[in-house]
Amino acid sequence: MRHITVTINGERYERDVAEHRTLLHFLRDDLGLTGTKEGCGAGECGACTIIMDGRAVNSCLVLAMEADGAALETIEGAAAGGELSVIQQAFHDHHAVQCGYCTPGMVMSATDLLRRNPNPSREEIIDGIEGNFCRCTGYQQIIEAIEAAAGATGTAAGKEADHA
Amino acid sequence: MTRLRGAPEPKAVPLLHEFSYVAHRSLDELLSFLAHHGDETQVFSGGTDLFVNIRAGLAAPRYVADLKSVSDLHEIAFNEREGLSIGACATVNELIANDTVRDRYAVLRTAAEQLATFQLRNRATVVGNIVTASPCGDMTSPLLCLGTDVVLVSVRGERRVPLGEFITGVKTTQIATDEIVTRVIVGTGRIDAAGGYRKLKRIKGHDLGVVAVALIKSMPAVRVAISSAAPTPVLLPEFGADAPVAEIQASAQAAISPIDDVRCTAEYRRFMVDVYIRRLMEEVPA
Repeated sequence: MRHITVTINGERYERDVAEHRTLLHFLRDDLGLTGTKEGCGAGECGACTIIMDGRAVNSCLVLAMEADGAALETIEGAAAGGELSVIQQAFHDHHAVQCGYCTPGMVMSATDLLRRNPNPSREEIIDGIEGNFCRCTGYQQIIEAIEAAAGATGTAAGKEADHA
Repeated sequence: MTRLRGAPEPKAVPLLHEFSYVAHRSLDELLSFLAHHGDETQVFSGGTDLFVNIRAGLAAPRYVADLKSVSDLHEIAFNEREGLSIGACATVNELIANDTVRDRYAVLRTAAEQLATFQLRNRATVVGNIVTASPCGDMTSPLLCLGTDVVLVSVRGERRVPLGEFITGVKTTQIATDEIVTRVIVGTGRIDAAGGYRKLKRIKGHDLGVVAVALIKSMPAVRVAISSAAPTPVLLPEFGADAPVAEIQASAQAAISPIDDVRCTAEYRRFMVDVYIRRLMEEVPA
């Protein structure tokens, strides 16, 4: 066990953690932040995508130890003050959610994409979510939702996404 | 944030085999640790192979040593004398974002963009892709074409090994238990070469390469390397600028030894190697 300090969605957490624990299991099982999902556990499906120090990562392949001192963003931080983020609202409006299991990871990847590239082309959106599997929607509605989220805020999308 | 109502009580589910995490601040400390514990330690940076292997029961180290805590292993640096130095902790996305790589080692970037997914590339390192020594490693073939040395360091000293000799078989390398790779050096001999990388996958999305071909035209020479068609990526002998496509294809067919596996048949791998050599010869400018 080792003591770590992590900032998640602006809130500071200190815990004793087993050294072999993944960041995903730390979030879900130790902190009860179960919005982040586990799919494959091998870095392929993207259900566990979070943003760590400004970079989208698969939290199933990160150790909690590696996050000591890091700033993390998870899906729990998306709806600030109970209001859906622009991206979440667009997913809702465009029926981009069926079973919902991939959605937290999709929203985090879309958030990261729109920060890097506030006005992505359709091709860039497809590339941006290449690391996130959806087994229900066929991706079409998800792509449309991200297009709409980018369009809804125009060039301010990147700024908006900072609140997502 | 408080626990959601109804959320289950936390329970310690050990999905990873238990190990100790060590993070040395200096290279000397790490090397001296490895001199004593190297045979029971896995060194990692991105962890995108190691933690998959541990979870699958393919690796059970007593220690995992995080290279990222050692400073000055992150750099991607270029100078005209030595060439391009890629530090052990430089991620694949950092390679893609590097201006020198884009302008002068274009084939590296083309191949890197086809490695796994954006999230994975934020963690996965170029050096890790080589040290893992998978037959389908996306970085190895372009690095072989360009001419690359691997720098290994231990308490015993430093040595520099050509990449083609460093990888010795399927997931095996020359690395000793007390050694780490600190960086790879891509020489200046084929700088500014035009190049391409073609990778066959089972699906349009990200996937391991079923077979892949890297080709550069560094005039007056053409260099070709092939992944996923032999126990290690294979670099063909150099060809002249006017070498007919059929000559390169024949050389490739003699050099590779593909297998039938869950992803593809050997026959189809051989077929696609020929197709990709022809396409790359057509599409890569001289």
